[in-house]
Amino acid sequence: MDGRVTISELEKVYGEGPERTKAIEDLSFEVEGGEFVSVVGPSGCGKSTLLYLIAGFLDTTSGTIAVDDTPISGPGTDRGVVFQDYALFPWRTVFENVTYGLEENDIPKEERQSIAQKYIDLVDLDGFEDKYPKELSGGMKQRVGIARTLAYEPKILLMDEPFGALDQPLREALQDQLRDIWDDLGKTIVFITHDVEEAVYLSERVLIMTRHPGTRKSVAEIDLDRSRTREEIVTSDEFAQYKNSVWRSLHEETQTEVTL
Amino acid sequence: MRHATSQRIEALPAPVQGIAQTILDWIPLGIVVVLWELVSGTVVAESILPPPTAVSSLLVELVVTGEVFSHLFISLFRIAVGLGLSILIGVLLGIGMARSDPVEDFFDIFLSMTYPIPKTALVPLAILWLGVGTETAILIVFLACLLPIVLNAYNAANDVNQSLVWAAQMMGTDERSMLYKVVFPATIPEIMTGVRQAVPIAFVALVSAELIASNQGIGYLILTSGQIGNYPRMFANIVIISAVAFVAVRGFEEVRNRVLVWT
Amino acid sequence: MDVTSETQSGFDLSRLVELGKSVYSLVIVLVLWELVGQFELIHYYFLPPLSDIILRFIELTLSGDMLYNAYLTLYRALVGLAIASVFGVLVGVLSARNDLVDWFFDPIIKIGYPVPIISLIPVFMLWFGIGDISKIIMVAVGTFWPVAVNARDSTQQVQQNLVWAAQMMGTSDRRLLRRVVFPAALPGIITGFQIAMPLSLIITFVFEMVAGGGGLGALEIQGVRSFQSTQTYAAIIAVMFIGIGLDRGLRLIRSRLLHWT
Repeated sequence: MDGRVTISELEKVYGEGPERTKAIEDLSFEVEGGEFVSVVGPSGCGKSTLLYLIAGFLDTTSGTIAVDDTPISGPGTDRGVVFQDYALFPWRTVFENVTYGLEENDIPKEERQSIAQKYIDLVDLDGFEDKYPKELSGGMKQRVGIARTLAYEPKILLMDEPFGALDQPLREALQDQLRDIWDDLGKTIVFITHDVEEAVYLSERVLIMTRHPGTRKSVAEIDLDRSRTREEIVTSDEFAQYKNSVWRSLHEETQTEVTL
Repeated sequence: MRHATSQRIEALPAPVQGIAQTILDWIPLGIVVVLWELVSGTVVAESILPPPTAVSSLLVELVVTGEVFSHLFISLFRIAVGLGLSILIGVLLGIGMARSDPVEDFFDIFLSMTYPIPKTALVPLAILWLGVGTETAILIVFLACLLPIVLNAYNAANDVNQSLVWAAQMMGTDERSMLYKVVFPATIPEIMTGVRQAVPIAFVALVSAELIASNQGIGYLILTSGQIGNYPRMFANIVIISAVAFVAVRGFEEVRNRVLVWT
Repeated sequence: MDVTSETQSGFDLSRLVELGKSVYSLVIVLVLWELVGQFELIHYYFLPPLSDIILRFIELTLSGDMLYNAYLTLYRALVGLAIASVFGVLVGVLSARNDLVDWFFDPIIKIGYPVPIISLIPVFMLWFGIGDISKIIMVAVGTFWPVAVNARDSTQQVQQNLVWAAQMMGTSDRRLLRRVVFPAALPGIITGFQIAMPLSLIITFVFEMVAGGGGLGALEIQGVRSFQSTQTYAAIIAVMFIGIGLDRGLRLIRSRLLHWT
């Protein structure tokens, strides 16, 4: 199990004629198997588009995306997505949402129970198995989204600003939980965010995209000792340096925007 | 297939594109009309299903000679009055109920009870009271349209953004001015949606009344043409009222867009 | 003083007051109705006293007439509605998922929508006569449109993310419709039924009033023609019960089926 993602000369164009817009231009990037990479960029740079292209929801205009050297064609169970708006099935309970992927992949019923329970416990939602999404808070829904995607064990996790709609304390708790999960399971993670601090805190490398049409601007290597506590990490000098360098790079892209 | 055809259309020069698209959209109906023409007189007796050619020529005749106009006018008059009254009273009632608890307490039970009753069931009652004719038709249209409009106005008035009300209050608006300076304008978009929904209801109510309790109007014409066996005429009248209903809805949408420039 | 019992009776009293506030206007109207009728302030034919109407209602129920006619009306309306539901949902959902189906049915749906379906009653009388079948077919045709349009629109509006989520977890295109699209569209589809239900009654009533053949609509008209206004009023009361019953019934079904909303 590798989970290496290779993106070559990726281009994505929307619309035709006078409404033609190029969302992504000549983007090449490689994510190693088991790596945790964040993608940041100014609004409208195409971060989410990039994610949906890797996921196979959208077709490329040109260029290729390959997983372990095999080009992708459409969505697949090797690439799991955690959506910004959760995308839970409202007619299914928490438990049933988590077992959905297992059902589709023909896992026998008894095994489904135990696997689902394991991942529900992992995201601290035990006791809520029979609740419907309408009864859950945003943070809980997102955790169900994560559990659901982990349950059928895709090689690669694609996360689209998953904590964007949550408040700060919750976001921090989930970030830490995500790091723990990554430490445990070792999956490849591609994490979209507009929060520079979050990107630096979570990942080993940060891909910074240019503004529209998005392409690769720079890549920052983040080498932090993450065995420390959150507070230690966030208040350290290296953290500040990484944060500033990413922020500066990003800020150059937003420089020409109109100021109030 | 859609994609392939739309690609081919894109390949055409601009002015032709619009025409090509329109033709494409209407082909299924064209097929239906052609089948209709073929079936009539051959598979099915012409009396039962007059061919589109007969219907359309009669249609032209009716319009040109103006035979149908007096009846059309009566029907439209009835709808206009019935709908107009229901808007007037419905909006007042709806907003009144939303803004005043005693008013709501008084009327609420009547509305809940009559809500599930189809108002056309009241046609015989209307005949009882008002006999056969225009008053009955107006009453039925009024009753049928009233509830949707009241409901819409009520919801709209309840949904008025509280911040708007507070802003007005802080600037010194009293309750009476509040109603017509803030609440009413804020509710207009939603009320117009309610009226838009009421228009087809008005037509259904009108035709119902005219089929049962009238000596004039398009509904009456449809019924009598059927009764005397003049089927092309019957179909022609149906086409007329449908076309009018369609225009009425479209026309109203245009009006709404003009009036609601601020949305 | 026992605080608990005082609170209890206080609670009951306030609930009673609430109830009173919501029905007092109705009670006033009913009482006035009875008085006006008893003292014949308005001619008996126009407004019989409430008691006479209720008596007539009981009479007709006991003789079986009311039930029989109510059954006829319901039978016609509901069978027609059922037929329209099956076809409407089929066409609606498929139109949203399949371009070819949509291309074919879209103009048909657009044209049919503004036609006041009631105006076709004489046509249906011509084609299918004035019996039950004719009424059922008319109801089916008339209610097809709201069901189909709602089914189509709610299927089209199913969130793309839900479909993508299902696909990423391995759902084949064949299974998508049943596993994800249909449940997600169900609330809108049921709304279509809720709109079509009163329409089915309207069509049935008008058809019965124009063509006869039994049913509550015919019963009402007959009351007018035979100068037995109590019959008309009694039939209207039956209509009210049926209308309320069906509406409540459908809402119950909706909340059971859609308990997750």
